[in-house]
Amino acid sequence: MTGTIRTVFAQDQSAEAAVHACRTALGEEPADLVVAFVGGKHNPEAALSALRAAFPGVTLTGGAAAGVISSHGFGYAGFEIGIIAFHGADVTPVVVTTRDLLAGEFAAGETLGAAVQAHTQDGQAVILLFDSVASTAPLKLHPASQLMAGFQAGLGGRELHVVGGGLLTDINLSDGWLLDGAQICKHAAAALIFPVGIVAETVIFHGCRPASSFLDITAIEGAEVLALNGEPALTVVERMLGLTLGTTSGQQLSLVATLGQKQGDPYAPFDENAYVNRLILQANPERGSLTLFEPDFELGARVQIMSRDNILMLESVTRGVGELRERMAGKASMLGLYIDCAGRASVMSGAETEEAELVVETLAPDFPFMGFYSGVEIAPFAGTSRPLDWTGVLTVLQAAR
Amino acid sequence: MNVPATQNFEQLQRELDFYRREYDDMGARLVRLQEEQSRAAREARRSKIVARLVRDAYQIVHQDIFASKIGGLILAMVADTALCDKAAFLNRDPMNAQNFVVEHALGGMGADALEMPSPPAFLFTASGKLTDPAAEPLIGLIGVPYILWAYDEESGRGLLLGKKFEGNIHRPFESRDAEIVEVVLAVYIDLLLRKNAEATMRMARQAAEEASNARARFLANLSHELRSPLNTIIGFSGLMLERRAHAVTPEQRDEFARQIQAAGRSLLALANDILDFSSLGHARLQLRRDWVPVGPLLHAVARALTQEITARGVWVDVLPVPPQLQANIDYDRFRQILTNLLGNAIKFTPPGGRIELGACLAGHTGLRLSIRDNGIGIRQEDLAKALEPFVQLKSETHEHPHGAGLGLPIAKQLVEAHDGSLNLASTYGKGTEVTILLPEGSARLT
Repeated sequence: MTGTIRTVFAQDQSAEAAVHACRTALGEEPADLVVAFVGGKHNPEAALSALRAAFPGVTLTGGAAAGVISSHGFGYAGFEIGIIAFHGADVTPVVVTTRDLLAGEFAAGETLGAAVQAHTQDGQAVILLFDSVASTAPLKLHPASQLMAGFQAGLGGRELHVVGGGLLTDINLSDGWLLDGAQICKHAAAALIFPVGIVAETVIFHGCRPASSFLDITAIEGAEVLALNGEPALTVVERMLGLTLGTTSGQQLSLVATLGQKQGDPYAPFDENAYVNRLILQANPERGSLTLFEPDFELGARVQIMSRDNILMLESVTRGVGELRERMAGKASMLGLYIDCAGRASVMSGAETEEAELVVETLAPDFPFMGFYSGVEIAPFAGTSRPLDWTGVLTVLQAAR
Repeated sequence: MNVPATQNFEQLQRELDFYRREYDDMGARLVRLQEEQSRAAREARRSKIVARLVRDAYQIVHQDIFASKIGGLILAMVADTALCDKAAFLNRDPMNAQNFVVEHALGGMGADALEMPSPPAFLFTASGKLTDPAAEPLIGLIGVPYILWAYDEESGRGLLLGKKFEGNIHRPFESRDAEIVEVVLAVYIDLLLRKNAEATMRMARQAAEEASNARARFLANLSHELRSPLNTIIGFSGLMLERRAHAVTPEQRDEFARQIQAAGRSLLALANDILDFSSLGHARLQLRRDWVPVGPLLHAVARALTQEITARGVWVDVLPVPPQLQANIDYDRFRQILTNLLGNAIKFTPPGGRIELGACLAGHTGLRLSIRDNGIGIRQEDLAKALEPFVQLKSETHEHPHGAGLGLPIAKQLVEAHDGSLNLASTYGKGTEVTILLPEGSARLT
């Protein structure tokens, strides 16, 4: 391959200065596409203006990031900027976008999926980025499960390696935005389709352990779980945990516990890879319900209350990176991308070790590497790419043999 | 003995219930344990933040930066801890103790200043706590509901942190967070004091070095400037006293006397310049301001230097000045300024050259005076030196110009005593323009 991929990171209160530092670090290297992850304290317009000035005529995509992770630096204070610069047709992804998430995530996903289908063959790698926040007051997310269901429908059976993440300005889910090629957009999604000669290897890091026996969802409306085992869901969870969740603010709940659905044999030994977890977005004492990040649990689903486990989270990284290294062997690695649930940052999880730093240290990439903190992660799971919570998704793009 | 199937089922059911209860109980304990660990880690984080901020902030001590930059750097460090969305250092207005000015800010503020009659030493707001009325102006300023504030009465400085939300990364502020804001504020004030003290010391050292340099230049210059006229006086007076075979003619005697007088005047001018400069440097000059017609002043200065103009062979033009233009100035001192400047222009303009004196209103009631020559000019790198005392710039045509090198510095100080400014613009080899600007209220058209 003749193309180049380069990653740079900078941190500065001024978006202009941070972009300038990135541009300087890149040198005179030309770029065909720039993917920028912009810390949420930067003014989006100022960041865009600085990017345009630094990369005149270059297609710009990416968007807000609750934090940026790179082998050159790391942070989630809100002033970070991480850039991936692609140059050369054999490495540069094609970008297709939609701005229609607000009108309906499924439909927007379907349109995007159909557009991606038209540009791809089976086995190609795709990175999907989307604005996570549908509304700030009341807080409402763009459900990735509906976006992905639509996207899969649009793909019409095309089998792709899709990873991605929801873009957030900060860990408090204050807002999100996307750069759709040239503009700053709300309610938008972008698919970055990598050329045929590039393949992806992905590993998912977990960090939750079941903390209850199975509970049946006996009433649910979208993402709002109304009843578990025939009782108000909030009452059940509070009683089982011995905690009064209803008095805490909604966002704190996601620190305490998640609901997890075990895939496959429910009585098989614990395997972190068997669980799909859903963070709790809100507790609603009046309705006795819990609102999850995603509306993809169904009536009758058997779930468990899951506890975060920081030790497990770090062990999962070490184990997962080891597995990935084995799979990577023998192929030239071109880019490492890490999409990390914002809750895994130690400021939120309380972990002594920064999990993202452990990823960088353990992987020790001698190839370009970039990551960002996300609202939701998308990765191949049980045969299809789907949204995940409280995970870290590490993908390495390699030259196909 | 065979156990009936129903009894066996009940036994298994009980056993299953037992394990389920135990499992759930263990799970709940795990969650609570995890929460306690996370809470402890977040508590420990406060101390870590404080330690990190102190460590990082004191790195500034070793950096060669101005005191005015410290606040911004410390706010960036605070932001880097992900403690808040916005932050600002406020400083009490020395003219109005109830007014606080935003010195440094991170994130947009609603205003540049706010009124606070009695700022508390510490306060915070949180959703689970009634808002202190004293917090309201601070919330209004920072534009977010949850704030953390510390104030140091002695220095008049305060630190304000704010966040939009509570929860997740931004847990609610609490009284124990006083540790953070108070330490950061104390470090900021301490660093400011250190940097200001450093700056004062640096300025004092610089002043001492400048004084020392000036003294050296003065002595070097003085020896030359004294020696020449004294030699003239001694030489010509000696000739006049000699009993020679050929007596000195009356014409020669007159010429010798003129030379001796010129040398004496030169010495007197030198002594006056030195005394003037010395007094200007040590005490505030008392000006006797009056409304003075500007045009006649320029003509008077040009007339007074007729002898020098003629001797040098240069042309001096006083450009047309509105006859009604008057300036509120000390006549004698301004005449001294213009004489010095015109004298310099004559000295540095070759024969046949041209010098222009002009004056006009600047703005509505300000005054602009200029003296422009097409002389030898000054190199860009020498412009600043030209305003230093006892400096005589060397040029290709004037290897050692006469004078103590006090003309321009005295003129500058006298202009500044009039609240004005003196600016020097020059192109080497093309000429020089000295401009005096007096502020609004200094001139009028009668």
